[in-house]
Amino acid sequence: MSENNATLKVENVTKRFGGFTAVENLSFDVKAGRVFGFLGPNGAGKTTTIRMIVGITIPDEGRIELFGEKVSSELQNRIGYLPEERGLYKKMKIADQLHYFAALKGVSYKDAEKRIDFWLDRMQLGEWKKKKTTDLSKGMSQKIQFIATVLHDPDLLILDEPFSGLDPVNVKFLIEVVAELKAQRKTIIFSTHLMETAERLCDDIILINKSQKVIGGTLREVKASFSKNLISLRVSGGERVLRDTNLVEITNENADSVEVKLTEMLDSQTFLKRLLAEGAIVSKFEEIEPSLNDIFIEKIRG
Amino acid sequence: MRKFLAIVKHEYKKIVLKWTFLVGTLLFPVLAGAFAVVPAIIFSLKGEPTRIALIDPGGKVAPRVKENLSVEKMKEKADKAAKEALKDITATQDEKMKRQAEQFGESFIFIDYNAGEKPLEQIQQELNAQINDGKLDAYLVIPPNYDSPDAQFLFRSRKAGDFVTNEGLSDALNQAVRSQRLSDANISESKLKELSANVKIDTKNIDETGEKDSDGVFIASFIIGMMIYITLAIYGQAILGAVVEEKETRIAEILFSSARPFELMFGKLVGVGLAGLTQLAIWIISALILVGVGIAQMSAAGVDIVIPNISVWMIILFFIYFLLGFFIYASIFALIGSMVTTVQEGGQFSFPPIMVLLIGFYFSFAVIRDPNSSLSFWVSIAPFFAPITMPVRILSSMPPFWEIALSILINVAAITFLVWLASRVYRVGMLMYGKRATIPEVWKWIRQV
Repeated sequence: MSENNATLKVENVTKRFGGFTAVENLSFDVKAGRVFGFLGPNGAGKTTTIRMIVGITIPDEGRIELFGEKVSSELQNRIGYLPEERGLYKKMKIADQLHYFAALKGVSYKDAEKRIDFWLDRMQLGEWKKKKTTDLSKGMSQKIQFIATVLHDPDLLILDEPFSGLDPVNVKFLIEVVAELKAQRKTIIFSTHLMETAERLCDDIILINKSQKVIGGTLREVKASFSKNLISLRVSGGERVLRDTNLVEITNENADSVEVKLTEMLDSQTFLKRLLAEGAIVSKFEEIEPSLNDIFIEKIRG
Repeated sequence: MRKFLAIVKHEYKKIVLKWTFLVGTLLFPVLAGAFAVVPAIIFSLKGEPTRIALIDPGGKVAPRVKENLSVEKMKEKADKAAKEALKDITATQDEKMKRQAEQFGESFIFIDYNAGEKPLEQIQQELNAQINDGKLDAYLVIPPNYDSPDAQFLFRSRKAGDFVTNEGLSDALNQAVRSQRLSDANISESKLKELSANVKIDTKNIDETGEKDSDGVFIASFIIGMMIYITLAIYGQAILGAVVEEKETRIAEILFSSARPFELMFGKLVGVGLAGLTQLAIWIISALILVGVGIAQMSAAGVDIVIPNISVWMIILFFIYFLLGFFIYASIFALIGSMVTTVQEGGQFSFPPIMVLLIGFYFSFAVIRDPNSSLSFWVSIAPFFAPITMPVRILSSMPPFWEIALSILINVAAITFLVWLASRVYRVGMLMYGKRATIPEVWKWIRQV
């Protein structure tokens, strides 16, 4: 985690509304070119934090640095923000709305025109350019909103629940687009409470609950730290090792496979070696990782 | 600055490029014209002339009635009545009255009926029969004792509801009887005319520029007051609608992540204000052209017409006052828009500012009546009222320069305060979804850094 490639640095940020603390002493870094999962249940303080990052509100305490600078209206042009609560002008032509949003991000009319054509094409909405929002389906307007987010070619994309309300085909489509953007070294922050999606897309995550950070790091690290040393195996023989309660505890056994929890006496590799030394034939040996969902539930309930 | 201009352009185009703007721009002059013309057309619609028989055994009153109902007499009378009622009467109105009088005069056809020595009952029976046959519409029986206080005049008509005709006839009869009574008392006809002549009042306004014809000032002041009232109400509400739309659709969140709230709100005010100015300019310029063409035609036709003299300086002041009024009311509407959650809710809250605006409009009548009273002075300086009352006052009687300067200064100060207030509420309120803000909440937002 080198300091110089952090797109975003959040340091000890606190935000209060009256007597209510929405975000408390929150710190995390988002590295350039990575997909960062910003996770937490509803009401955890995700949107409040994002609003501070994009410069809508100002933290009461702490500091937010974007691209190595303090948040300013100039830097806003380098962020693309897709809010969770989103909308379009109802009676305005799609092209006109997109032009307005682009102009607000400092894009010239000519550049905007080119990019609007490109993106409408990419989103398979080319023939809707002159139509009004009221003519569009919900999925279509969601894609238009996504275009508005990326139109100014931002270096940092913040997508707040981008898939809510989309059908599976469009979700897949949007994930592809996000992957393309990642390949262009864009930094992407995903805010979601859907752990399956986060698990599929994110390199790094942070989990916040009740306005505080619960856990953070690379997806791998987080998962490893939550590993319960559970192993699922299909084995014949090796009974002595399996039945040694000093070494393992059988948590689940069925005809085909057995699930064991290792004690602190040994790690998975030593366990495998011991089994093989016993002459057991191992046809399946898999460390069971907790899913992000499990971690989420455990952390939030705990 | 580039973003600010983008916001202004966006708001301006949003209004001006809509077909409703075009319709409104074209419709207002048409409607205003219709208001002036339609009643005149309706009243000038000519009914069938009333066929009337005058039964006058004495033979003295009937000729006078006939004379009074003649075209010339009617014209004269209408003229007098109009002058008394309106004092300031424009040439076009004058023309209209004359035309109406002519038409009225032509609306009686006198049917001869020889009553001879027949008793009243028989006369009535015969005439009633004629009416039933459709040969006659009405008859009037003048009793021989017409000068007695309890003389009974009989009027029977199958169009008894035609109050215009009846009124005219009753006037004519009254006059006829009165002049007959006077002549019976040996007062000569010429003496009579001399005695009953109206006094002539020469009405002129006096201000620094000297005497000025007040012809048309009333109407012009009223129109300008009305125009400013309507545009302020319409464009104030347009601001409300635009703000609520961005809040309701949550576009505000995207906007706030792209530009500063103050830029967004002020850009909206400027954009919509320019749209209003455009419309007002179209109206005023087209009005000036129409009036110009009208005068040219009138004077070509030999009609002498005096219009209120409106200088370029006055027109500039109207636009300045429109903008002052716009920013005062628009910032209030922006504030309301960011407090509420739906357009309907905003509609309820827009009632108080509209009331204040309306009061300002009513004050303008007091200003027209007496532009130099202390009431006129105060209402044309007070914020909220000045944007309507000052232009009206300027048109009625140009106030001293320092009063205009003071009024502009005070209103600019009010705008500065209101825009500041509105922007404080706007930046928080626009991101508050779900429920309408309460006054204590709004107060908290205002004080919040």
